[in-house]
Amino acid sequence: MKPRWENLAFATAAVFVALAFTSLVLVTAGASPFEAYWYMLKGSLGSWSKISDVLVAWVPLLLATAGLLITFAAGLWNIGVEGQIVLGGIFTTWVLRLLQDSTLSPAFILILAIAAGALGGALWAALAGVLKVFGGVNEIFGGLGLDFVAVALTLWLIFGPWKRPGIGSMSGTEPFPKELWLPTIPGSRLSLWALFIGLVSIAIVYFLLSGTYFGLKLKAVGKNPRAAYLLGIPTTRYLMMAFVLSGLFAGLAGAVQVTAVYHRLIPAISSGYGWLGLMVSMLINFQPAWAAPVTFFFAALNIGSIQLPIVLKLDSSLSGVLQGALVLSFLLMGGVRQRWLKKHQQEASDD
Amino acid sequence: MEIELRHIHKYFGPVHANDDITLTIPSGSIQGLLGENGAGKSTLMKILSGYLRPDAGEIRINGSPIEMHSPADAIRFGIGMLHQDPMDFPPMRVLDNFMVGYPEGLLLPREEARQALLDLSAQFGFSLDPDAYVESLTVGERQQLEIVRLLWLGAQVLIFDEPTTGISAQQKEKLFAALHRLADEGKTIIFVTHKLEEVEILCDQVAVLRAGKLVGEAKPPYDLDALVEMMFGKVVTKGERVSAPLGKPVLQLKNLAVESHRIRIAGVNLEVREGEVIGLAGMEGSGQRQLLRACAGLIRPVEGEIWVDGHNLTGKPYHDFMRHGVAYVPAARLEEGLVPNLTLLEHMILADEQRGLIIDRQAALDLTKERIKTFNIRGRPHSTIESLSGGNQQRALLALLRPGLRLLLMEHPTRGLDMESAIWVWQTLKRRCREEKTAIFFMSSDLEEILHYSDRILVFFSGQVSEPIPATETDIEQLGQLIGGRGFNTPEEATP
Amino acid sequence: MKRIWWLLLTTLVLAAVVLSACSSGQATPAPQQESQQQTQQEQATQPPQEETFTFGMLLVGPYNDHGWSQAHYEAGQYVEQKLGAKMLYVDKVNPADRPGTTPEQLAEDLVSKGAKLIIFNSDDMKDAALAFAQAHPDIYVIHASGDNAWKDGKDYKDIPNFSNVMGKMIYGKMIAGCAAAMTTETGQIGYLGPLINDETRRLASSAYLGAKYCWQHYRQKDPADLKFKVTWIGFWFNIPGVTSDPTQVADDFFNSGYDVVLSGIDTTEALVEAKKFADQGKKVYAVPYDFKEACQEAPDVCLGVPYFNWGPLYMKLIQDAKDGKWQSTFIWAPPDWKDINNPDTSAIGFEMGPALSDEASDAVTNFIDELANGLNLWVGPLKLQDGTLYLKDGEAATDQQIWYLPQLLEGMEGQSVPQQ
Ligand SMILES: Nc1ncnc2c1ncn2[C@@H]1O[C@H](COP(=O)(O)OP(=O)(O)OP(=O)(O)O)[C@@H](O)[C@H]1O
Ligand SMILES: [Mg+2]
Repeated sequence: MKPRWENLAFATAAVFVALAFTSLVLVTAGASPFEAYWYMLKGSLGSWSKISDVLVAWVPLLLATAGLLITFAAGLWNIGVEGQIVLGGIFTTWVLRLLQDSTLSPAFILILAIAAGALGGALWAALAGVLKVFGGVNEIFGGLGLDFVAVALTLWLIFGPWKRPGIGSMSGTEPFPKELWLPTIPGSRLSLWALFIGLVSIAIVYFLLSGTYFGLKLKAVGKNPRAAYLLGIPTTRYLMMAFVLSGLFAGLAGAVQVTAVYHRLIPAISSGYGWLGLMVSMLINFQPAWAAPVTFFFAALNIGSIQLPIVLKLDSSLSGVLQGALVLSFLLMGGVRQRWLKKHQQEASDD
Repeated sequence: MEIELRHIHKYFGPVHANDDITLTIPSGSIQGLLGENGAGKSTLMKILSGYLRPDAGEIRINGSPIEMHSPADAIRFGIGMLHQDPMDFPPMRVLDNFMVGYPEGLLLPREEARQALLDLSAQFGFSLDPDAYVESLTVGERQQLEIVRLLWLGAQVLIFDEPTTGISAQQKEKLFAALHRLADEGKTIIFVTHKLEEVEILCDQVAVLRAGKLVGEAKPPYDLDALVEMMFGKVVTKGERVSAPLGKPVLQLKNLAVESHRIRIAGVNLEVREGEVIGLAGMEGSGQRQLLRACAGLIRPVEGEIWVDGHNLTGKPYHDFMRHGVAYVPAARLEEGLVPNLTLLEHMILADEQRGLIIDRQAALDLTKERIKTFNIRGRPHSTIESLSGGNQQRALLALLRPGLRLLLMEHPTRGLDMESAIWVWQTLKRRCREEKTAIFFMSSDLEEILHYSDRILVFFSGQVSEPIPATETDIEQLGQLIGGRGFNTPEEATP
Repeated sequence: MKRIWWLLLTTLVLAAVVLSACSSGQATPAPQQESQQQTQQEQATQPPQEETFTFGMLLVGPYNDHGWSQAHYEAGQYVEQKLGAKMLYVDKVNPADRPGTTPEQLAEDLVSKGAKLIIFNSDDMKDAALAFAQAHPDIYVIHASGDNAWKDGKDYKDIPNFSNVMGKMIYGKMIAGCAAAMTTETGQIGYLGPLINDETRRLASSAYLGAKYCWQHYRQKDPADLKFKVTWIGFWFNIPGVTSDPTQVADDFFNSGYDVVLSGIDTTEALVEAKKFADQGKKVYAVPYDFKEACQEAPDVCLGVPYFNWGPLYMKLIQDAKDGKWQSTFIWAPPDWKDINNPDTSAIGFEMGPALSDEASDAVTNFIDELANGLNLWVGPLKLQDGTLYLKDGEAATDQQIWYLPQLLEGMEGQSVPQQ
């Protein structure tokens, strides 16, 4: 029973440190922290329509995080996740463009397009994987490079071959006809289909990592590739699979962005969810069980923080400050907790 | 410096690893520390060297109590520890590792350090190349590096946690001579070991731990049987030499040549048969490890062929060897053999045959509990592997081996095991030879172990390999001479 | 570490419940400002006697970007002040800065805070503005730039609550071209263009027309001796790896004999590079774009800047909306020729720069007067770049012909249509 309270105490402390830090920033910016938090809360959970907006943002973030948990399990920093989301978006757009004038049923086209998005992300991740596994290029650098290329590719498509009639514009490609949008709940922007994809994905990842041989082997490869190899695990294949699966979920995130959020390809199609997903993963200490609630919380912060510039004339990047502060203070508290545990080891129990 | 440990307690969860230990170690003496696996020796030494904090009790130096919060603190008090599993930085060079922890200023006197490193290793007869990468060193060499590093940092109290498991008899002699000299200079030495003969030739007094408690102390002349009884609570004997009947050939090496950046062995012809045990003797780094690794497909031979059970596996990867019933047990447990952070249970699942895609947790748990029992591992299914004592990690490593193997390749199979466990492990290995017709190919720095358990012995001397010598036709004396190079051709004559 | 999230979540959910309870009930445990706000809002929703009109504005960039968005933001403040209206705004409305949000969503948020009219300030928000206007027929929508409310335009959409506004920057560009022509010694003028579309073709061509006129009529030189070259970088600002580097493009101009560069992009590379060359002793100049105070970055080489002044345009539309006289319109407003720099009346202005010589500035002033008195440069004979006839002799271009200019004009060097 004891460690439970102990963990709770440390987590609470972490939240307080983060809030205190953010409050300090807010006070420095000349705003009342309480007011700011209040508006953010109201702006994210204050009404059903706000909650549905949060859910809209939640799904792609959840998908990106789900993918990242797989690479993290394998000890990989899949920084290329941003690019994988982008490629997911590009592939989805590509299929939609190819088929939008065809006679196929919209539902079928959408399914194909979303599958293509997953494929696109997986391929892009496989590229990072090949660079890492066979080329010896650290996945962080390879991923960063591929992110850059992916963004350049989107811009080229939007201003080149896929540009809107007459004008290439930052607003992206021509929006798709309404039939090719993932159907939404009437009166909201939320698509239950997208929600379904997100929830199923995180459930799959959770199960994969906690209940299957695949997940356990991946973990072994991540923690000690040499020992894993001696234990008979084909390490390179597992590393590649981790990349591909991770990219698949990231690609789905891109597909959802195109089919359920923006209904076209835009230059910033990833919405930075890859980076945010990396932060969330660290915050939850790579535990899949916590991905859903914490990404929801982060999505709520993203949506809620819109109130800051509107009502308080504050920059909404303050929500980023809060998110970053949370991650840092959890890491910090993790360290403090370890030291504390060392001192009080007799209170800790093994399982 | 005189060290006093007073009423030291340490708990790990429910495990009372140190239970009210009070021990005084006089200045300028060599203190032995004995005890079965998991007795609490490493824990006590980690407390003394600042890695762990005691839950109760105090440490005094020359009569005054001290407070330590980190190994760096301990070094400041002049206490340095050589760990059971080397705590170095493998991707770095020897010299850089040597200089880690150098306290003064930011500017490191590289040249000075290099000279010190060379001088110190010369003193002890170690051959450490300052520019080699640590990951290319053997376990023994890495321990050597730690020794000279601590001396250079000015340690007055030196703690050695099982330092002799990785080094050869000659290196051991040099080490012991050095330890005597250090003690004469007034340095205090604490020496943790499982080997009674080492205690006998080295230690001015010895303390014995069992289940966390100090169960006795002794001074020379030692009554070895009494010590064994103190350690295990009963008398332990090695038993008679046994051999399994030999069957058909399992492993065939044909004119094999293996090369690593430091050593080349060539022209090895050998046939290992079912049930046979072959021991590889030689100074650490003489090529035994390369040969073992080549037989597992972990190193690609440059010449010759490797056949397993009539299949030519030359140049195939390790996993192909595995499929033919070959298993490899490395010496660097925590680096190559086990996966830190994973639990015993998870290790068992990984090592066991995969059934389907989904793990049957209950079945795995039952299996793990059974293995824990048969291998007498002090730990629970959910203990992480690094929380086990060194000897228990070794047992876990052996518990991972599947039944029905054809060929077992082992680096230091009983490294870090106490006497009783080593005997028990060999009993189980021999049973494999007998009942499953497994052939065993192992290297060890313990000549007695090699002599006692092998059927035939290969002696290595800087890349040259002797003809197989039947164990019954030789003795420690002769092996020792061969290891030192006597009886081998000089390199000129050896080249065809 | 784990339980905390349940705690957090529960707290959040509880807070949400309390919140919704608050918004339906009356008790508000929020800080005072909040309750003030709330009462204001409540007043706004009930039809009161004399309400302050609230309008919302979505800015594509930061409200203080020294460019496009700031010009709109300041116009909003102008309306607030003059009309006693209240502005709600969100800046950085683009998917890169506000991930996970769409302009529609933000506009709805502003409406929920009482806005009766929403301004979308960028061409990028065209789809959003249209979709929003159609979904919210009770809210007035102004889209700055764009032509969907133009009955005679190509993309007309009949949405009663939707209007377009734009200033006739063609005049600003003509004046800029004139300033360049009066200054150049080599007779070579460079135009640093963004991406190629109707609007940018129209503006580059206007600059050329102004330059040609002043070159010919004030400097008495042969138009054939005037070189006017457009180089498109590919976007409104530099995107490394995607656009050409505007710094490089400006350098190339200056290095190959072009001594005046007109900027058509959002950033000030042309000015910065001109300064660099000037510091090395070369006599070169630049003309920035968009923002009234742009010359301040390098006054020594700045000939002046054509800028937008949105205040009077918004003023009119918001006034109409407030008075219930709203009509869907397309406004393409010329400058107030009485005083093009009058902040209360002129949609387009030209701020002369310190580097403009007295002689040249007299000529520019003269040119502005001529324009004010009806000089029309969009009159035939004019040919398109490929030689096809654009305007017959004496034929004046219609607004449509100018708005949808298909190519650059004859006499201009540079690409007319983006390559595929
Ligand atoms: N970090 C830890 N967490 C939990 N239990 C631990 C930890 N370290 C050691 N233990 C337990 O404490 C006991 C004593 O361990 P210790 O390493 O001191 O044994 P030892 O005498 O050095 O054994 P060996 O001869 O095998 O090295 C063992 O039961 C071990 O499992
Ligand atoms: Mg130990």
